[in-house]
Amino acid sequence: MSHTSLPLILAFGAGCLLSLMVLFNGTLATHGTLLFASWVPHATGTLVALVFLAVLRPAKANASRPPLWAYAGGLVGAFTVMATSYTMNTALALSGTIAIGLAGQMVFSLVADARGMFGLPQKWPAAKDWGALALIIAGSLILIFFGGAA
Amino acid sequence: MIWFVFIAFLGGASVSLSRQINGRLSLSTSAMHSSFWNHFVGLGLLTLMALAFGGLFTPQIADIPLWAYLGGTVGVVFIALSSWLVARIGAAQTALLIIAGQMISGVVLDILRDAPGSPLARAFGVAMILAGMWLSQSKR
Repeated sequence: MSHTSLPLILAFGAGCLLSLMVLFNGTLATHGTLLFASWVPHATGTLVALVFLAVLRPAKANASRPPLWAYAGGLVGAFTVMATSYTMNTALALSGTIAIGLAGQMVFSLVADARGMFGLPQKWPAAKDWGALALIIAGSLILIFFGGAA
Repeated sequence: MIWFVFIAFLGGASVSLSRQINGRLSLSTSAMHSSFWNHFVGLGLLTLMALAFGGLFTPQIADIPLWAYLGGTVGVVFIALSSWLVARIGAAQTALLIIAGQMISGVVLDILRDAPGSPLARAFGVAMILAGMWLSQSKR
């Protein structure tokens, strides 16, 4: 296994963690309010991240101060929760919300890559990357609408 | 209907937007710092909302199984990994491979939990995703 497959393995693993996270937080939401189901993972996550920082002591990449907006990721994340829990309860239901959400994710990330938005490196998919995109999104849509993935 | 589609689309786009912003923070700090700030800032906003609107603690929360409280811990690792990845392999690759992992592990969880779903569709969907992952790793 070459070292170039490390990002693939990490990203795939992150996707598996996401499934677990949805299961855990979704279980919170079946008992508590939506606010509770979002507040609890943020509170425990803040504490756990502090422990990780204290134990791992990761080095800061550079001394320059990041722009203030770079701290706003958590605010955008809160919007995600509100938007998806809103549309989940409309005619779109969970499957429609996930399927259209996939489109939103891919369109935004392609634009972000193409323009190198928010200070990250600029890139554009090669031909084989478009093929991979088509296969993975098509497979996902099959799972969402026919495989019970929603 | 078009309004719901628009909001669902924005919901998906916001996933990539926050990943991009967290990725930028990780470039100046570290992936774990970025994950901390993501959770801390979100906690601040949600706490303000709870103070304004109430409805945080309801009697029903006594019935929640303890394992359901692990979501935050998983989330910290998830955000740290995505911040690290997006700054290296780009937003589209990161999104695509995370979606692949989420979909395939979702099928595994569904099978373990005996959730209804067509076995044929599952096999077909998983095969297409695996083929896509293989293609993305191929030399050309």
